[in-house]
Amino acid sequence: MLAFPCSRVEESNFQGEGHAMRRHPLVQMLVIGVVAIAIGIPVALIIPWFPANGSLQAGNIHTLYDVLLIVSVPIFVLVETVVLYSVWKFRMRPGQEELDGPPIHGNTRLEVVWTALPAVLLVSLATYAYTVLRTDEKTHPGAMVVNVTERQFAFEFSYPQGAGKQINSPALYLPGGAPVVFHLRSLDVVHSFFVPQFSVKLDAVPGITTTLRVTPTRLGSYPAECTELCGAGHSLMRASVHVVTPAAFRTWLSSQKANGAPPVGNPPPGASQAGVPGSSGPAAASPAASGGSSSSSGAGSTAGAAGKAVFVGSAGCGTCHTLAAAGTTGQIGPNLSQRLKSDCATAASIRVRGRTLAQCIHTAIVNPYAYLPAGYQAHIMPSTFAQTLTASQLQALVSFLSSVTK
Amino acid sequence: MALSAKIRAPGWYRAAALEVLGLGFAIGLTALVRALMHQHPIVDGHAITIVALLSVPLGLLLGIGTCDYWLYWASGRPTRPEDHSDHGARSWRDYFRVNTDHKVIGIQYTVTSFFFLLVGGLLAMMIRAQLAKPGMQFLTPEQYNGVFSVHASLLIFLFVIPVFAGMANFVLPLMIGAPDMAFPRLNALSYWLLPIGGTMMLMSFLAPGGSFASGWTAYAPLSTTQPVGQLFFTIGVQFAGFSSIFTALNFLVTIITMRAPGMSFFRMPLLVWANFSTSLLVVIATPFIASSQFFVLLDTALHFHFFDAFVGAGKNGNVIMYQHVFWFYSHPAVYIMMLPGFGIISEVLAVKARKPIFGYRMMAFSLLAIVVLGFTVWAHHMFVSGMSPWIRIPMMITTAIIAVPTGIKIFSWLATLWRGVLHLDTPMLFALGFLTMFTLGGISGVMLAMIPFDIHVSQTYFIVAHIHYVLFGGSLFTIFAGIYYWFPKMTGRMFDDRLGKWHFWMTFIFFNLTFGPMHLIGIQGMPRRVAEYAQQFATWNLIISLSSFVLGLSTLIFLYNMVASWRGGPRAAANPWRALTLEWQVSSPPPIFNFDAVPTVVGGPYEYGVPGAVHGIFAPPEEAKPVSVGAPAGARTGTASSASSEESRE
Amino acid sequence: MEAASIAHAEHHGPPPAHRSSRVEAPTLGMMLFIISEVMIFGAFFTAYFFIRIVSHDPWPAVGTHLPEAVAGVNTAILLASSLTIHWALVSIKHGNRFGLRAGMVTTFLLGLTFLTIQINEYIHIGFAPHDAAQGTIFYALTGLHGAHVFVGLCALLMVTIRAFRGHYSPEHHQGMEVPGIYWHFVDVMWVVVYTTVYVL
Ligand code: HEA
Ligand code: HEA
Ligand code: CUA
Ligand SMILES: [Cu+2]
Repeated sequence: MLAFPCSRVEESNFQGEGHAMRRHPLVQMLVIGVVAIAIGIPVALIIPWFPANGSLQAGNIHTLYDVLLIVSVPIFVLVETVVLYSVWKFRMRPGQEELDGPPIHGNTRLEVVWTALPAVLLVSLATYAYTVLRTDEKTHPGAMVVNVTERQFAFEFSYPQGAGKQINSPALYLPGGAPVVFHLRSLDVVHSFFVPQFSVKLDAVPGITTTLRVTPTRLGSYPAECTELCGAGHSLMRASVHVVTPAAFRTWLSSQKANGAPPVGNPPPGASQAGVPGSSGPAAASPAASGGSSSSSGAGSTAGAAGKAVFVGSAGCGTCHTLAAAGTTGQIGPNLSQRLKSDCATAASIRVRGRTLAQCIHTAIVNPYAYLPAGYQAHIMPSTFAQTLTASQLQALVSFLSSVTK
Repeated sequence: MALSAKIRAPGWYRAAALEVLGLGFAIGLTALVRALMHQHPIVDGHAITIVALLSVPLGLLLGIGTCDYWLYWASGRPTRPEDHSDHGARSWRDYFRVNTDHKVIGIQYTVTSFFFLLVGGLLAMMIRAQLAKPGMQFLTPEQYNGVFSVHASLLIFLFVIPVFAGMANFVLPLMIGAPDMAFPRLNALSYWLLPIGGTMMLMSFLAPGGSFASGWTAYAPLSTTQPVGQLFFTIGVQFAGFSSIFTALNFLVTIITMRAPGMSFFRMPLLVWANFSTSLLVVIATPFIASSQFFVLLDTALHFHFFDAFVGAGKNGNVIMYQHVFWFYSHPAVYIMMLPGFGIISEVLAVKARKPIFGYRMMAFSLLAIVVLGFTVWAHHMFVSGMSPWIRIPMMITTAIIAVPTGIKIFSWLATLWRGVLHLDTPMLFALGFLTMFTLGGISGVMLAMIPFDIHVSQTYFIVAHIHYVLFGGSLFTIFAGIYYWFPKMTGRMFDDRLGKWHFWMTFIFFNLTFGPMHLIGIQGMPRRVAEYAQQFATWNLIISLSSFVLGLSTLIFLYNMVASWRGGPRAAANPWRALTLEWQVSSPPPIFNFDAVPTVVGGPYEYGVPGAVHGIFAPPEEAKPVSVGAPAGARTGTASSASSEESRE
Repeated sequence: MEAASIAHAEHHGPPPAHRSSRVEAPTLGMMLFIISEVMIFGAFFTAYFFIRIVSHDPWPAVGTHLPEAVAGVNTAILLASSLTIHWALVSIKHGNRFGLRAGMVTTFLLGLTFLTIQINEYIHIGFAPHDAAQGTIFYALTGLHGAHVFVGLCALLMVTIRAFRGHYSPEHHQGMEVPGIYWHFVDVMWVVVYTTVYVL
């Protein structure tokens, strides 16, 4: 077809192909689009997007996401088809260098349609999402309360027992099928509490208590993650969640009450994260078998075991420090297996932190920056352990550490 | 010229001298104050750093000569008559001096921001290297936090926002037929604030305790308890922020008061509309991030308690307040990073499809709609923040609705393509790439608006995927489209289209391979901002890292193409794209004062295919010259009546 | 990499820009800048709102009180300065140079008085920003405003100097009109700060 000087194109030049243009290109495109959608939606739905469906809330959210996919695929396909089709049909061919397209300035009806349709679509989506939210956050009268206390860089879960007494645990145990209310608190910066299999997440904000509701439905062990950037140890701030049968839960709870010893430890981050539910489900169903550490500390009421429990557990030292004796692999702070003894032996340290190993360790815990080991910097290790740990816990911790670094 | 004279004259020598002076001032002042307050030691690195971060840049600004004129003016001394010596660039050296020519400033802006793109991208390469496999690679967790924080801060505050301002700086006055911006000296100041902010953020790596590591969001109270590196962000952002506020003021005043005769608002190119809307956003929203960082600064430096929740009963600060103030800026900021791109796409598509923009007025109104709605959605970043739950509902609805004006734009662009004559060269390819990729990012955004789903994916890699689909697939694609499109005008040379196509396809493919999988691992539960992750995500992360490296290399093709073409490319014609808008009606590069006489606008900017259509004509001066206001120091001649007669002509 | 062809080097000065609006560029610029300023105060008031209202804490912090009376007098002083600067503007419009100078000087002195009283208040108020969040936001808001007064004073000083150096004329007084707008904004802002922080 011949070239026109740019500004002298008449509509008529388009009539010929114009007629053709007006009918079957649209039809053609419609067909392509429908086919693409027909393929796209199943593909999008088949992809295993979510981790295991571990709670009532998760179920609803997975459905919501499927709906969102079903709505989104056509919209995306629509845009793609028009672009690709135009590229294919309307791209400049040799000889058309000087040619211009038809001067179409707009079409009010069309514009109204593509304003109104999305609006309706979006409002209805929002309404649906709102109903899902309502059901997910419905309050259940007799729901079990668990207080979650977060701190750089550890979780502590505590189960109120009435009369101001409570049971503390670094790992979260929940009875399957029963609604739970979490009360989240933070002792320093903003943290967060997220269990992918539960599909629920909430920040723990200093100064206020935030409330999160979930009804676990699936037995198994899952990771609990802190997903709000909270400092150097953020990537390692993890805990393990064990959803067990109500009976098993009661036994666990009573076992906790029985010895009242400092809480049991949680497995090292790597392990606790890779919560592949199916496999670990049955194992976790019986609390005795959950985490070798629990049974060990349950039996051993010696200072050593208690101290170790504090180290890997409520104090969360293990998230930052490597210590062979406790099987922890944290990499933020000094490697205690290697450095603790030697650092305490240096002249500078002795001047600041006292002569005996115990004195040194005690100072190092309650007042970390009194003396900084070479190659480490201040403001990373919390300097609040004097407040956050009970005297007995601190005592146990010190004696445990000095015993393993003999 | 003698050194003493060199030091007295504005320039790098005086700048160096005054910077040293600034440092001395910082040391002296802090020492004095601490001495008076009986604090020991008197010399305190932390305090000195804080003051120096403000006084040294000030020294630079004064030394380089951004304020000379004003100082003369303020002191009431006769200001030297405007001899235009600081106008236009005769050699590459002029780009390193204070220059009031909007074209020079535009290029200074653009080149500077692209430098920060490369640095920020390099940091991204480090992120990906660290995440290539689980287990700590070569960065410690706190270094890693620092790297992604600087990565994001540079790319947002020193790349996307300023590069748009830079391109608009170059083309906008040309497009509306103005000889320059309304306040050329303020324009120069805006530019020089930029490298200061960027250098500051980069230098934080040298700070004791490492660079700022609390993300680009710098949530308190984490940011108030960080090592001194955090202050390099806190204060660096102020410089970047004031830079964009001043530029926005300049754009608004220029657009309102300096349009060529006949250029009614509905004859403005959509790029002008886009920057008009963006500037409104900047002027209204940016003060909020400035304030949020003031709060952080006061908390860290002077022990205020904005965000301290442990002062004592009845005396506590409020932590969530930070997030409200921050996001009230930073959501509009994401549109500050997108609307100018929309403008660029409108220009490129109309010219490259050889058709008028479909539904021009709706395109303009949808921009304004986005501006308004943009201020009503900030808390969608806080669905899991623990704020009072009811706020989430209205925010969900407004957030969803904001997809409507955006949709209008997307659909209108599609209709513009329809039955056009598509010239599929590099700018067009990037424009089409934008259409497809931004739609994806936008749709994932709408999914995020749905609270229950957001509760699941918030703070995971799904967010990271969304970020990059909108910022890379959205903003960056439009930036590339714009750079290729105006390269001939800016440099007077043609770029290598073959290399451009290579650049596009490599970027397009590996961009998707890099950020596509992030949706999946995000939903499966991989948190963002982690230096270490579970085994189950290992495979995907390896794929992502490898693709990201190729993505990085693709940027080098672009780099080579730009440098080589600028130095040795074939000379560009005045109007290689046969475009109608005014900037293409003057030589490439444009004459030093843009126009010998201000043109008169007689029609719409996109009348492609309309027989004999013209946008602007170069009328004899007397017809197009009733008044003058662009001239500095508010010289005012002429009368308002002639202006109104212009108005009545429409 | 030349950005402008030398061909036009001999063409002296840009073509006079067409003026597409009746508003003066500098005036419009100042108006827009004031919008930004209002938003800065807006952010600080947000902080105030969260600390006082959302946190349900007593205001001012228990055991402290704010000197409404003194501040009230101060308010009057600042408002007076708005009148005097307006007088200065009107005078120069009528070519009354004495009125201009006298008006500028009084305005400047009134502003200075306000600032000194404010600082004196800080010294005797009896609580520090780091005592409580209420103290924090009190000092933040009044301090932010104080900073604006200071900037305003610097501008006024320049105008005064130039006034005495014989600048400005009935048809050419934008150089003082624009800073004047800013000064009026600073005064109005103080009324808001005073009512919210001291009175309410
Ligand atoms: C250029 C930047 C940019 C842009 C344009 C957008 C656009 C949008 N964003 Fe995004 N966003 C970011 C940058 C951007 N975002 C960043 C950086 C973050 C992370 C910040 C951080 O935490 O670090 C973020 C985070 C973010 C969140 C918070 C997630 C979380 O942290 O939990 C949410 C939630 O609602 C959201 C939503 C949206 C929506 C609804 C849009 C809409 O404007 C999109 C509208 C566009 C479309 C929808 C596509 C085209 C429309 C059609 C084809 C019409 C038909 C479509 C439908 C009917 C669906 N974004
Ligand atoms: C415009 C904005 C922008 C752009 C362009 C990019 C570009 C890239 N980003 Fe960015 N990113 C953000 C904005 C952006 N990002 C934001 C806002 C965040 C959130 C941060 C936060 O959580 O606070 C983020 C976070 C973020 C993360 C998550 C970190 C975490 O949460 O742990 C990751 C991880 O993969 C990532 C990767 C990348 C990659 C691979 C690119 C690639 O596209 C980069 C491609 C490479 C280049 C463009 C240049 C390459 C140049 C060279 C290789 C050599 C030449 C260099 C010189 C000569 C100096 N980004
Ligand atoms: Cu705690 Cu992240
Ligand atoms: Cu947003």
